[in-house]
Amino acid sequence: MKFRKADPLVEDLRRVLPLDRIRVAPLERSLMGRDASIFEGGQAGPVCFPIDTGEVQGCVDTARRHGRAVVPRGAGTGLAGGAVPLEEPVVVVTTKMNRLLSVDADSRVAWVQPGMINLDLSRATAPYGLHFAPDPSSQQVCSLGGNVGTNAGGPHCLAHGVTSAHVLAVEVVLMSGEAVVLGDPDGWAPGMDLRGAYVGSEGMMGITTAIAVRLTPDPPAVQTLLLAFDSVDAAAQTVSAVIADGIVPAAIEMMDNNIIRAVEAYVGAGFPTDAAAVVIVEVDGLPGGVAEEADRVVELATARGASVRRAVDEQERALLWKGRKSAFGAIARIKPNYYLHDTVVPRTRLAEVMNRVYEIVEEHDLQVMNVFHAGDGNLHPMLLFDRREPGIMPRVHAAGAAIIEASLAVGGVLSGEHGIGMEKRDFMPLMFSEADLDAQARLRRAFDPGGMANPSKVLPTGASCADVNALDKVPDGVWG
Amino acid sequence: MSPKATLGNDREGSRSRPTLGIDTEELASCVSCGLCLPHCPTFRVTGEEWASPRGRISAMREVQDNGAAVDAAFLSSMDSCVQCRGCEPACPSGVPFGSMMEATQAELARRRRFDWRRWGFRVLGHSWLLNLMSRMLAVAQRLRLVPSKRLGLPPIPLAQGRLRATGDDVWLFTGCVMDAWQRSTHAAVKRVVEAAGAGVALPGTGAGCCGALSLHAGLEDHARSLAVRTMKALEGSAPILVDSAGCGAALKEYGKHLGTPEAAAFSERVLDVNEWLAAQADRLPAGGERGQDITVAVHDPCHLRHVQRAHQPVADVLSRYATVVALDDEGLCCGAGGAYAAMQPDLAASIRDRKLEAIKRSGADIVVSANPGCTIHLANAGVTVRHPLEIVDEAIDHDG
Repeated sequence: MKFRKADPLVEDLRRVLPLDRIRVAPLERSLMGRDASIFEGGQAGPVCFPIDTGEVQGCVDTARRHGRAVVPRGAGTGLAGGAVPLEEPVVVVTTKMNRLLSVDADSRVAWVQPGMINLDLSRATAPYGLHFAPDPSSQQVCSLGGNVGTNAGGPHCLAHGVTSAHVLAVEVVLMSGEAVVLGDPDGWAPGMDLRGAYVGSEGMMGITTAIAVRLTPDPPAVQTLLLAFDSVDAAAQTVSAVIADGIVPAAIEMMDNNIIRAVEAYVGAGFPTDAAAVVIVEVDGLPGGVAEEADRVVELATARGASVRRAVDEQERALLWKGRKSAFGAIARIKPNYYLHDTVVPRTRLAEVMNRVYEIVEEHDLQVMNVFHAGDGNLHPMLLFDRREPGIMPRVHAAGAAIIEASLAVGGVLSGEHGIGMEKRDFMPLMFSEADLDAQARLRRAFDPGGMANPSKVLPTGASCADVNALDKVPDGVWG
Repeated sequence: MSPKATLGNDREGSRSRPTLGIDTEELASCVSCGLCLPHCPTFRVTGEEWASPRGRISAMREVQDNGAAVDAAFLSSMDSCVQCRGCEPACPSGVPFGSMMEATQAELARRRRFDWRRWGFRVLGHSWLLNLMSRMLAVAQRLRLVPSKRLGLPPIPLAQGRLRATGDDVWLFTGCVMDAWQRSTHAAVKRVVEAAGAGVALPGTGAGCCGALSLHAGLEDHARSLAVRTMKALEGSAPILVDSAGCGAALKEYGKHLGTPEAAAFSERVLDVNEWLAAQADRLPAGGERGQDITVAVHDPCHLRHVQRAHQPVADVLSRYATVVALDDEGLCCGAGGAYAAMQPDLAASIRDRKLEAIKRSGADIVVSANPGCTIHLANAGVTVRHPLEIVDEAIDHDG
C-alpha cells in the first residue's frame, strides 16, 4: 500500500502498530466512511487495527498528541451512523481483537475482547449449555464492543433484558490513554455504577477493550409460534393481550405484509405472504410451563382471528428466526436504500402509531416496511427509497421526522436499541430539555474532557457550551 | 499483483459503458447491512472491510460510480477475493456478487498488459498438451526437481489407465487438470454410476477445460470458447454428470454466461454426480458393514454449496456407506479457490487454518471433498482427503 511518509501522525502510529495494521490508502479509508445506516461519505483518517489493550492505548495516546479525535468501529453494522468518522479522526477498528479471553462456566461469566462477534460467543459457550442473551438481528456479524456501545437489544431481550443487564464489567481506554475497569465481574462493584453510565455511551467516553459478560443458561424447552393475522390491529391487540395476561414470552416479534413478502423470497420458510401481519412468539423455560404458555398464547391469538403454526423442530424454528433476522438486509429486493427508525411507544398505543406511520408514508409518497420487537413496543419502520431518484431525500427526512414526532406524542422515546449516533442526534431536543442535554454532556465530559472520543455524535450542537469539537451541522454530502 | 500496478482509467473513453462494466442495478442492490461479512473467508481471517463482500462492492461503486482510480488498493481488494460466493446465499437481498466480481475481473484483465494466466490457462484447453506436461511434471517430481509443497502441487501420477465408455445413459464430464492428475477418481465415480445401473459416455478429448478458471481470472473470451467446445462434445439429451464441484458450477452457469437458448438447455442437463445418485438411491447397491467403522467429515466445496446449492446429496449418498459428520463452520471456504491458492498463498493458508480447526473439532478419520481443488489444497496441509464416491466405490467393491 502506498504509504504517506509525510504524515507525522502516521509516522507516530507506526511506533505503536506494525505497518500492516495501519491502513492509509484513500480506498481503505473511504470504506470506513459508512456503516449500515443511511449515512455515506464520512471521512476517516488513518485506520488502525490493534490486537490488545496496550495497542489501543498506543493509538489513543498518539491521536491525543496530534490533537486528533478517535472513533471506534466494530463490524460496521450500526444503524444510526455512530461509527461514521467526521473530519478524519483516527479510526480504531476492533475486528482483530476477537478473542474469548476466559470462561467461568460455574459463575457464568466470560471475558471477551470487543471485536468478538456476538454469535461466536454463544457458539463458543454452547458446550457449557450457556449463551449470551442479547441477540440483535445482526448477531451473526455485529461485535460485542458495538453491542456495549449502543446498549443493543434483540428479540430475546423482552424477557432477559438488553445488553446492559448482561455486562458485568468493561475495560475501557480513556482518552487520556489510561485503561480502567468499570464494574466488577462478580457483580458487586463498590461506589457509583459507572459501568451503567458507560454501556450505551456510543464510543463517546472511551474505547472498550474487554468486556465481562453474563452468560445465560440455555432454556430446557422452547416453543415457537407463527401467528398470522388479517389486520395489523388484530396483531397489535394480540401482543397487548399476551402481556396483559401475565405471560412474558422470550420474544414477540411482528412483521407487516411488505416485509413478509421480502423475507419469504429469501428464506422460503413458508411465511404467509397474504397475511397483513405475522407475529412470532417464542416461549421458553421448563417443558410443562412452556406447553401451557404456548397454548394460552394460541388461545388469545385465535380469539383475535389468527391462524397459527407451531415450529415442529429446531430446523423450522431456525428458519423462522432467519426470516425475521434477515429483514433489514432483504430490503434491496424492493429498493436499494432504507432509512430505519427505532422509536419505542407504549404497547397499548402500538396499533394507533402504526396506522399513523402508514398515513405519514402515504402523505410523503414513500414505501414503508415494519418489522419490530412488538413485545417492547419498539418500532422499526423502514422507509424505502432509491437515493438516485431526484428530490427523494427531503421527502424521506420529512417522513422520518413525522414518524418520530408521532411516536413521541404518545409518550414514546427516540431510540430503543440502535443508538442515536448521527442519525437521530438532531432529534434529541424533541425529547430532552436543554437542562437534560447539558447534564448528559457533562457526564460525557467527566470521562472525556476534551471531547475527543467519537465527537459530534448523540448530543446535538450546543448541548453544552464547552462542546467545542461539535460541528455546526453534519457536513454536506454525508446525508445522502 | 505488482505493487506499482496502477492502471489507467477509461480505456476507450466510451461514456455509455460503465467503467467496470457492472450492471448499474446490480451494483445499486447492496444495502450494506453487513450480513455477508462472517460468510466471507477473507473477512474472517483479516477482519478488514476491503477484504469483505460489502467492502468490495463499495470499492466497485467508488470506481464505477464516483470515478475513483483503479489503484493498488483496489486491485488488492478484488484479487484477494476467492470467488467462493459464500456471500450470495448469506445475502437477504440476493445481491449477485459473483457476476459483479466476474465483470470487474474481466475489465481488469482487459487493462493488464501481461497476465501469465492468459497463456497458462490455454494449456488447459488442450488435453494432449496438458497430459504431456503432467507426465513431465510427474517425472520431475520423482527427481525432486520441483518444490511441490511450496507450489501446492499434489503427487502427480506417472501413468494413468484409460477410461472406457460403457453406454450412453449419462455423460461423465472429465475436465482438464482432474483428468490429467486424478483420473483414478473419475474411474471410481464411473464404477459407482455403473453400479447404479447406468451406462457411461465419455467426452474423450473433445471436451477439456470447462472455462471456470479463465472466467474467474476475467478472461471472458477464452472462457466462452471453452464453453462452446464443451457443449459440442457433450451433445444429445443425456444428463451430464460432473464429479468436480467447480466445473459443475461453471457448466450450470453456461446458460447465464452465453445467454443462448442452447446454452440454457445444456445447463439444465448438468448435475453434480451426487445429485444424480441421490435421486437413484433405490438402485444403489448396499454397502458392507466395514464402511460404518470410519467417520467421514464432509467438506462442502463452495461451488457445490453456494453456487450449485446442492451439497446435501453428498451426505445423503455417502451416509449409506459410512458414518458421516458435518463440519460446524457453515460451509466457510477452505481457501483453495481454483488457482487462488497459487495466486494468494498467504491468505489461502490462513483460510485453510480455520478449516483445519473445524476438521479437528469434528473428530473424523478422513475428510471428503467433491472438488479436486479443495482436495489438493487440504492435502497439502497433511489432511487425508478423498472424493466421497471413492469411499462409496470401495464400500461397494468389498462386498462385491
